[in-house]
Amino acid sequence: MDKNYACYLCKGCGLGEALDFEALEEALEDSDISEVKDHEALCSPEGVALIQADIDGGVNAVLIGACSARVKTDEFTFGKEVLVERVPLREQGLWCSEAEYEDEEEAGEDRQMLADDYLRMHAAKLGKAEIGEPFQLEEDVEKGVMVVGGGVAGINAALAAAKAGAPVCLVEKEDALGGYLGKMAKLGPQSPPYQELQDTGLEELVAEVEAADNIKVFTGATVEKTEGAPGNFSVTLSNGESFRAGAIVQATGWNPYEAEKLADELAYGTSDKIVSNVQFEEKAKAGDLGGINGVAFIQCAGSRDENHLPYCSAVCCLVSLKQAMYVKEANPEAAVYVIYKDIRTPGQSEEVYRQAQELGVVFIRRGEDYPAISGSGPFAIETQDVTLNDTVEIEDLDMVVLATGMVPNNPSVVEPPLVALGMDQDEAAKLAEEAKAASDDWSVLNLEYRQGPNLPTLKYGYPDSHFICFPYETRRTGIYAAGAVRRPMRVTQATEDATGAALKAMQSTRAAEAGVAVHPRSGDDTFPDFFMQRCTQCKRCTEECPFGAINEDAEANPLPNPTRCRRCGVCMGACPERIISFTDYSVDMIGSMIKSIEVPDEDEEKPRVIVLACENDALPAIDLAAKNGAKWSPYVRFIPLRCLGSLNLVWIADALASGIDGILLFGCKRGDDYQCHFIKGSELANVRMSKISETLDRLVLESDRVRVEEIGFGEVDKIPGILDEFMETMEEVGPNPYKGF
Amino acid sequence: MATKAYDKSFREEVYDKVDAGEEIKLCMQCGVCGITCPLRDEMTYGPRQIWSLIRAGKRDEVMNCSDIMLCTSCYTCKVRCPRGVKVIDVMHGLAHYALQEGIVPRENTSKFGKFFWNSIYKTGRIDETEVPMRYSMRRGPIHGIFETLEMMDIGRALLSHKRMHFKLGPGIPPSKKIKGIKGLKKMLDKAEAMSPGKEA
Ligand code: SF4
Ligand code: SF4
Ligand code: SF4
Repeated sequence: MDKNYACYLCKGCGLGEALDFEALEEALEDSDISEVKDHEALCSPEGVALIQADIDGGVNAVLIGACSARVKTDEFTFGKEVLVERVPLREQGLWCSEAEYEDEEEAGEDRQMLADDYLRMHAAKLGKAEIGEPFQLEEDVEKGVMVVGGGVAGINAALAAAKAGAPVCLVEKEDALGGYLGKMAKLGPQSPPYQELQDTGLEELVAEVEAADNIKVFTGATVEKTEGAPGNFSVTLSNGESFRAGAIVQATGWNPYEAEKLADELAYGTSDKIVSNVQFEEKAKAGDLGGINGVAFIQCAGSRDENHLPYCSAVCCLVSLKQAMYVKEANPEAAVYVIYKDIRTPGQSEEVYRQAQELGVVFIRRGEDYPAISGSGPFAIETQDVTLNDTVEIEDLDMVVLATGMVPNNPSVVEPPLVALGMDQDEAAKLAEEAKAASDDWSVLNLEYRQGPNLPTLKYGYPDSHFICFPYETRRTGIYAAGAVRRPMRVTQATEDATGAALKAMQSTRAAEAGVAVHPRSGDDTFPDFFMQRCTQCKRCTEECPFGAINEDAEANPLPNPTRCRRCGVCMGACPERIISFTDYSVDMIGSMIKSIEVPDEDEEKPRVIVLACENDALPAIDLAAKNGAKWSPYVRFIPLRCLGSLNLVWIADALASGIDGILLFGCKRGDDYQCHFIKGSELANVRMSKISETLDRLVLESDRVRVEEIGFGEVDKIPGILDEFMETMEEVGPNPYKGF
Repeated sequence: MATKAYDKSFREEVYDKVDAGEEIKLCMQCGVCGITCPLRDEMTYGPRQIWSLIRAGKRDEVMNCSDIMLCTSCYTCKVRCPRGVKVIDVMHGLAHYALQEGIVPRENTSKFGKFFWNSIYKTGRIDETEVPMRYSMRRGPIHGIFETLEMMDIGRALLSHKRMHFKLGPGIPPSKKIKGIKGLKKMLDKAEAMSPGKEA
């Protein structure tokens, strides 16, 4: 594109007094920007009008030196045809740099250098940015949604999508819809005053599905193959049917934790009167609960136990309360005991707990040890009673119910450790092979993805997602998990979950149609562009993309699927040939920003530190810290990255070679409880950093010069401390010997 | 080793026969009552654990436990119980029930209670001189005189502030009755007849 530049500098918010505007203008001398204007308050209607008038006169590349790009977004957006680059002079220049100086003049000088640098850096980026066209699929974008699983979540997802206007294909492996809902006798109390058991409501739900003219139901069928990408999936079922889908909701529910595994601890299998909660429910449904005078429910049967299911299934407490109510309803005189570790009844479910107590159910708190069950009916139980601080015995029990937990009905995927990436290829292949062997060998969706047929999972087999921010997402764009396959949950929660996932699925078809990203970069219309001629087929991009966006073509070249892409730039960071770029984000652009920092000579004793910061959490935290009045060294320059995972090692080498003294990398928390918005980004950045030592050795530099820090948005207060400490380290290691070369 | 098997008969007895006994069904064993009780250091179990003992069927432990008569009716537990259990009502209910069953978990308290009650029942008021005098004489006049001498300083102070009036001995002169004492007696008799385990 032919660019017609202009730069606008704001004198508001104290910038006018603090900075020398002539100097700022001079800083742009070596750039293509010759038109520089200033205004008392750029975000005011007059200021915006000033910019707009120039745009109307033909300006299409605008550099705005004012506040952070995270604020005043409405004011400084000028439509798709205009490139806008914001220079955060206020947050990262003015607010953070008022350190106490003996010498007023020197303070002014340091701050001016900071502002000049920022202006040059962002001008360099603007100089390389382009306006691109959003990606368009060759095929028509399909708006229909496939829902896999016809239980409570699946049915509700189908209904929600259909009501919102999307055609739905609902696939259920059994011969009838219902899933576990169909196996339940009753639901526990669902509405105030939370005292009455309720009907499951399945018949009404199924009738609603049958009445909907845009839901096609396939029962007795599973998914044989899913290929394509959001907006254009083609699905083949086991019954030979095939159809297109724009997005997918996986609502395959759960399986009970196998009570057989509790034979040693809880005598399961020694009598048909020692049953799991699922079996007890079946009995209740069959009307087979007569003649119970004594019953004990044993909570956390296998749950919250490192040897079995380490997590809490969050439903079995409520299920036992409900089942205790069944017994009390059939026989109010029955002695009903619930032997628990903790009763977990979140929210209004506490009322159900009360109701069970009112009915005379007795609750006994046990410790970690399982109660000992003896006899062959009637049974006796010996258990620790924490509230009596004693061991107690319960006799005359006609039945013992083991409250087992939920396991997701989804194959668990063990990913090869990330360190395998970029290491010796044979070793990496071996680790990948081992991981594959450890994964279950079945599949729900049978994805035709280079990265495997299944959704990547967390350690318990639940589909991986950024749990807090994007609950329904999986690591395969356009495929959303709902209900108990996502996390253990009960019927009401699964119903809500289904609606959420269905709407997300529909949203993703809309995004595919518009050629924009889904969360977390919703609306971003850039996408990675591969300069294929230089590709060496190293496969790092296909391996490292957290979302499996890149397949391989017949010649083993990477084959991007832009509608699967979340625009994190991890591929860009991974590519050793640096052939992957976005129109407004590339290895070259960030490299140019780094190179446009002016590095003072060693004898000036003004070190330079760059911070490559994740723009999802770290950058907002930095802005907020500055806003809250935190101060730090004026020798620090921040460069925003889409994700720390887009970090390309060449930036580090470039920076050190150009005399920058130190480099900090700010990313999100990694590991099991990761906070990375692109799931693997910060993890990958760390793996890459572990290899940086080679570069440092080659340059004969100290490893202290590069450091990775995890910053959450809530950790605003940590920022000045980290920066101060790093500056001290820089003082200790001394100036970068490459200065001036 | 397991002490004794859980037995449902005692908890059912409590639900049926003890005033406010059913309240304890709702207890979730949080322990707030026990820890807020100003007499916690004096108590063997405290309310929370007494409920547990009831649930477990430990009749002897509960009925003979002085805790149920130590409650001073300060109401802290009842106010703080997150489950709204009327803790003190149950404590008093249990004490009353124990006496009714011929068990005296705390001799002194039960005697004091009796003099207190008699004063109300007979005169319609609490005679601040009569009740302590009778209480101190509970083990005979000699013991009573010693106990009274021990309390002399307090007694003098109370007299000088007109918080107490002078008496030669219990019933000398007799306490004044309220107006309508007959009506009050009728009410109290009726309430007694209506209390749990007595109706029908
Ligand atoms: S819901 Fe209750 S029984 Fe189930 S695992 Fe959690 S605490 Fe244990
Ligand atoms: S790594 Fe990120 S940017 Fe690259 S293809 Fe995957 S999702 Fe898109
Ligand atoms: S405060 Fe209430 S709920 Fe808590 S232990 Fe006491 S009676 Fe039970």
